[in-house]
Amino acid sequence: MLEMNAQSRVIAPAELGNSLRQAGGDPLDRRSRLKFFNSTFKIVCVSAAVFVCLVLFGILILMFRTGVMTFETVSFKEFFFSTNWDPENGHFGALLFIFGTFALTALTLVLAVPIAVLIAVFLAEITPVWLRGTLRPIMDLLVGIPSVVYGYLGLTILIPMLRELTGRDLADGLLAAAIVLAIMVLPTIARISDDAISAVPKKYRDASYALGSTRFQTIFRVVLPAARSGIVYAVILGMARAIGETMAVVMVIGNTPQLADSLFTPTAVLTSNIVMQITSVEFDSTWNYALYLMGFLLLAISLLLIVAVRLLQKKGAKAS
Amino acid sequence: MKKWFKPAALIALAVSLTAGGASVASAASSLKGKIVINGSSALLPLTLQAKSEFQKLNPKVKISASAVSSIAGPQSVRKGIADIGAVDWDASVDVPGFKKFDGQVANPVAVTVFAAVVNKNVGVSNLTTKQLQDIFSGKVTNWKDVGGSDANIVVVNRKFGSGTRVNFQMKALGGQDFMTKGDNYKETGSSGDMKTAIETTPNAIGYIDLPYVTDKMKALSINGAAPTEKNVLNGTYKVWGIGYFMTKGQPTGATKAFIEYIQSAKFQNGSLKKLKFIPLAAVK
Repeated sequence: MLEMNAQSRVIAPAELGNSLRQAGGDPLDRRSRLKFFNSTFKIVCVSAAVFVCLVLFGILILMFRTGVMTFETVSFKEFFFSTNWDPENGHFGALLFIFGTFALTALTLVLAVPIAVLIAVFLAEITPVWLRGTLRPIMDLLVGIPSVVYGYLGLTILIPMLRELTGRDLADGLLAAAIVLAIMVLPTIARISDDAISAVPKKYRDASYALGSTRFQTIFRVVLPAARSGIVYAVILGMARAIGETMAVVMVIGNTPQLADSLFTPTAVLTSNIVMQITSVEFDSTWNYALYLMGFLLLAISLLLIVAVRLLQKKGAKAS
Repeated sequence: MKKWFKPAALIALAVSLTAGGASVASAASSLKGKIVINGSSALLPLTLQAKSEFQKLNPKVKISASAVSSIAGPQSVRKGIADIGAVDWDASVDVPGFKKFDGQVANPVAVTVFAAVVNKNVGVSNLTTKQLQDIFSGKVTNWKDVGGSDANIVVVNRKFGSGTRVNFQMKALGGQDFMTKGDNYKETGSSGDMKTAIETTPNAIGYIDLPYVTDKMKALSINGAAPTEKNVLNGTYKVWGIGYFMTKGQPTGATKAFIEYIQSAKFQNGSLKKLKFIPLAAVK
């Protein structure tokens, strides 16, 4: 029985090859059909990959070409190093938006990542199985809540709350936006980190316990470092969502073109400014080009951040 | 083959039946078409009301109405993504800050009254032009300086391109510029956003057209005249403007019928008045 099986395993592939090699003549025979399907399938797959690359480069080139026309009237220095955004009077200083986007994303991650990782540890390591089975689908549902809902809740619940807590007259600003975004990206980061932590082999934990570590030591010295690349990936995804988020931000940031010198100064970021102004500008105006350039910057910033995080991750992996 | 034939035949039958039914029901009006409306959010209550009434009379006309700010109206018409661009000024001629839109026809639809509004908690109920200028330019920052209690003023402005902003600036502030910076200053996108901001922010002041004024906010008198139809007609309340529907060339077909419906005496003196707009005929 066993031998027969072994024999057939040897013969089968050879036979398959033979049938392919021997057939011929009839254009609709098995061999040419197979060849046709194989090559067609390959072409379809390759063209799908090429298509997505073309779309990405098309967007990049369109944004860049339109955006770069800004510099026909606005100096490079003014756009990147001035905080005076007053397009009605010909001032196009975008530094405040660029700064706002960086500050907002950083603040969001500072708020969200520690909590998200703790949630993930709780989900993967501490929760009893029955509770884990209920919590995970709930987290998945949270990921799917549209951002405008978060924005609206921020506007109607969070901002009045912040106003009362701080005693300020207007609580719109970076902190409000960062809290809304943090809540929004929490489930994303937590769920992917959770998967990464769950994927750490059990033998690592066993070995750690066998060496006499406590549960805390095992989680923070063994499991989390082992799951680091997955957690970094989760952070990248969360960051990408935070950086490009528009609707939730525009409702709580205050939409005022001034540099955010405090957490509660009404300000604006790249996304919120684009969505507020793009419908109000003339098609062939410097203002319109400047908004395109800001869109391009947004793209460039998120690409750069992703690359930076990947590099950091590699460096960290080598060091340990 | 037979497996799918039966359901397919049923669907075909159902479709032909409902199509037949629909054509019988709408025999009253043969007007067909699709109207896309964008632009002024100040005029949106009027557009939506007219839309639902007009669609009852002409079930075959599809109307989709959305709004951001006035300037988006004629711009959408120019780009060809909207048939009607609602705007709070006559965009077929040059106005301060905005160039005219060539080839577009301005069809007047209503008189819109704009009011300075404050949050319910503000004690002030009347402001002079000078006081409004001082508040919106950031010179006066405390309600006690204009007769209210000791609390900081939160100024809520509309973004550039808003027709309400243009009208308010020209007619209530005498053309004076707005403040642009400050911890107690923010801008909102549409009239709806402005409404939410004023309703939920204590000590806030902003401006909006009358259809949006709710009992959660207070419309201020300006120079002693309350923002009412009577005061507009007798000339004591000056902050009002005519709302226009911009079209590419003269309107035709369903678009023309829709604009004529809004301009009809029945709509002007009925629904339009109920929404707190003023009929066009009244101010001419």
